[in-house]
Amino acid sequence: MNGSVRSSAGLVWRHQRLVWWIFAVNLLLAWLASLPARATLSAVLDHSLESARLVNGFDVGALALLLFRPDVPTAALAPSAVGAAVVFLVYLLFLDGGIFAVYLDDRKLSRAEFFENSGLFFWRMLRLALYSLVPFAIAAAVNGGLAGWAGKLSSDAPQERLGFFVNLSGKLLFLLLALFARLWFDLAQARVVQDNERKLLRTIWRSLALVFRSGALFASYLGIALFSIVIFTAGVGLWVYLPHRATLASFLLLELLTLTMIATRLWMKAASARWVALLPRGLALAPVALPVEETPAPTPPTPVEVIEVTDVQPLSPEPPISE
Amino acid sequence: MEIRCWRICLIAVVALMTSGAFAQTAPLSERVVAYQIEGAYNEKTHTLDATELLTYTNRTGVTLNKFPFHLYLNAFQPKSTMMTEAERTGQRDFAKGTGWEDKHSGSNEVKSLEIVGAGDVTKQMKFVSPDDGNPDDRTVFEIALPTPLPPNQSVQFKIHFVAKFPEVVARTGYKRDFLMAGQWFPKVGVWWNGAWNCHQFHASTEFFADFGTFDVKLTLPARWNVGASGVQTGAKDNGNGTQTVTFHAEDIHDFAWTADPTTRVVEDSIQLGARTVNIRMLMQPGHMASAPRYMDALKGTMRKFDEWIGPYPYPQITVVDPPHGGGAAGGMEYPTLITADTTWWMPRSLLMPEVVVEHEFGHQYWYGMVATNEFENAWMDEGINQYSEAKVMDTLYGKETSVLRSRLGTLSERGLDLLGYVNVADRDPISRPGWLYMDGSSYGGITYSKTALMLLTLESLIGEKAVIHGLHVYFDRYKFKHPTPAEFTATMNEAVGQNLDWYWKQAIYGTEVLDDRILSASSERLDWYNKQDEKKGATVYHNEVLVHRRGTFDIPVVLEAKFDDGSTLRELWDGKDRWHKFTWDRKTKLVSAEIDPDHGRPLDRDHFNNSWTAAADRHATGKVAGYWTLLTQWLEQALSWLA
Repeated sequence: MNGSVRSSAGLVWRHQRLVWWIFAVNLLLAWLASLPARATLSAVLDHSLESARLVNGFDVGALALLLFRPDVPTAALAPSAVGAAVVFLVYLLFLDGGIFAVYLDDRKLSRAEFFENSGLFFWRMLRLALYSLVPFAIAAAVNGGLAGWAGKLSSDAPQERLGFFVNLSGKLLFLLLALFARLWFDLAQARVVQDNERKLLRTIWRSLALVFRSGALFASYLGIALFSIVIFTAGVGLWVYLPHRATLASFLLLELLTLTMIATRLWMKAASARWVALLPRGLALAPVALPVEETPAPTPPTPVEVIEVTDVQPLSPEPPISE
Repeated sequence: MEIRCWRICLIAVVALMTSGAFAQTAPLSERVVAYQIEGAYNEKTHTLDATELLTYTNRTGVTLNKFPFHLYLNAFQPKSTMMTEAERTGQRDFAKGTGWEDKHSGSNEVKSLEIVGAGDVTKQMKFVSPDDGNPDDRTVFEIALPTPLPPNQSVQFKIHFVAKFPEVVARTGYKRDFLMAGQWFPKVGVWWNGAWNCHQFHASTEFFADFGTFDVKLTLPARWNVGASGVQTGAKDNGNGTQTVTFHAEDIHDFAWTADPTTRVVEDSIQLGARTVNIRMLMQPGHMASAPRYMDALKGTMRKFDEWIGPYPYPQITVVDPPHGGGAAGGMEYPTLITADTTWWMPRSLLMPEVVVEHEFGHQYWYGMVATNEFENAWMDEGINQYSEAKVMDTLYGKETSVLRSRLGTLSERGLDLLGYVNVADRDPISRPGWLYMDGSSYGGITYSKTALMLLTLESLIGEKAVIHGLHVYFDRYKFKHPTPAEFTATMNEAVGQNLDWYWKQAIYGTEVLDDRILSASSERLDWYNKQDEKKGATVYHNEVLVHRRGTFDIPVVLEAKFDDGSTLRELWDGKDRWHKFTWDRKTKLVSAEIDPDHGRPLDRDHFNNSWTAAADRHATGKVAGYWTLLTQWLEQALSWLA
């Protein structure tokens, strides 16, 4: 697993331009979405002595009163943030084809190649995202059910903390399920790009079977997620100790955390891509017992060169499929 | 024989002296009622089968023909006024539209009612609904006396009743093995201002009762720890898995008790002048980390009240810590017994345990001793107590950090009050009866927060010491009585030596909103026609600040103007007109202007428009907008988990 995690980290590092571009768009969209809020706040705060309560310290009451003002329509500002999030999602779905092509091939693609892949796979990535709503919804439903049960236990169980721990366990289970579903669909995305696969349902089912046989990859995902949490916690811990007036330092630190979160997400994609790239062809394409569609049509030529296992360097010493 | 007599006399004297721990030499109150209650609790059915002997002494000065009684636990029925109000408006532990659950069912069933010497009058009980005419509300009943009761005579009522407790809601009931028994016995109304005052139990209102004595004997499971109003005077193990505990209390107007097998008892005492007050805390095992916090806050509060308002005359105060899931029993006051509120792993930076204990102890003065009518004048207890809370918490934990003192941010008592008030500022006058407010938000924001802010703002007009002195005089004059709003305002006027009726009229009886603002400010050359360059120290400027009374509250305003030579001016505007223009022709330019520069008017609902600076400072905008940007970025990333 360590080799896999390290080599996929290397992939992200070698192709860090992707991280920077995604981060830049993430920041740009958020900044654009916050412009109306910035203008509104500026009109209230820039010439008011009361604003010192938010600068020399952070008076939560002053902030809440600011947001309660009728001329600071918090609810009206929220849609722009949601809009930015949707645009960012579409942007990432568009890039996914190119990203996997880069990670599968482990070489710098020309701009034309990159966007050709992005465009080629966009609709398939979008459909995969829609399919992925099903397992995420199941995970959310499990979480909701457990939360409801926990609430009842919290109220009625003889042990007063039982409900709390069931609720906490439910949240952890939800995170694990969400991670599992993400891994599943990351593998599907990688295989779609590698094989230029058009039969998405078949790819999804085969990827699911593959996930169950790739415990080490799930462990890699878990490790990357934990790494992300540790970095995030440490960063927030450091941020708490910054002086209240250090607005720029605070901004830079929090942006660094955001950049790290983006990088770790790409790290997961890279791990999946590497895993798929290392799969023996026969295993990768082997039908599974679950719904089998008609025989796949001959694979049309794709802009991505299919990488043979023997061509991949460096190879991990460990077997790609966990025993 | 003589020696034996002497010994008996000595033992009798010692017994009398020890009993003096709970029996004051002279009554503190005009004792109207004497309750003797004896009951047995069934933990399986959550019921108490009890007999109450109430001796009522007619101190009204008029002959009484009928008596109204509260049966508060009957509010926990689906068609009661309280439940209907709670369901419709979302108050008192119920979200709007929660729906009825059988576990919330509670009742006070009178099995028999006898007037001693006149026989059984059970069949003459008549349920009445003086506030809303709800025929299904059974929280008040009346009984006509066969023989009218002349002044200074007494009548005894012997009532056999069964109290069924709900799962804890509206500050009474059980949760697992925990029981908080509040409003559990038939309680007689109050003859007040020439009439009986006995309101139904409403979703937003609390209680009102007469002072007297309580002797309560309870039989409960032997393993339970028991706490109650007053002091415990006896405990006996009955040998059958039950115990019988007795309590005695004097000069209080209500009696509550609690029982729980899991609580841990923490005891301490505090010396206040020549008096020692015992502190007894019944803590949940999982909340022991909050025990020192409760204790520190309680002792600090008791000292400040003793210093500012007056002495705490009772020998004991009991603090009850409800269990997880029993929060509906938390944050409540009963005479000499309060309930606190905390949770596991309560952060030290969040002072909620301290706030709750401070607030509930403060009620010992305004609800417990001054004992105003909480149905009709809730602000005289809750609001004045909220002001006391702000003063005490500010003193003990810092003016800006009295609720939250984390590195991430701070929150003050007055900031919290302003949050409660700002969105309901003009909805109801403080003086409105509790159940007639628009909704729960308005009741809370006005009764608690506006009253506190109104008294804090009064400090800016007459001084902090004058307000506290006024409250001290008011407490001293009206303790163990039931004062009216007019008596409060008249006493304050007299104590501070000013007629503040103009203020009370707007703040208490009106819905005026205070919102003064600086509409504009500028520094223009006086010789605006002159083409020559400006010369610092030589050019004369016409400095102007336009203050606009945006709200409707009419109150004097101090404006502070600062100039670029470092000089500062303060000027007063009487605040009568809608606007006022402050002007100064000087060789200096305005740097800043600020209304209420000492920040003494927290009732002003918008503090951001109280000042103006010539130079823009974009730090705050950058900070808040930066956080907004960051949250948007994280929202983007959360959604992109789908990609």
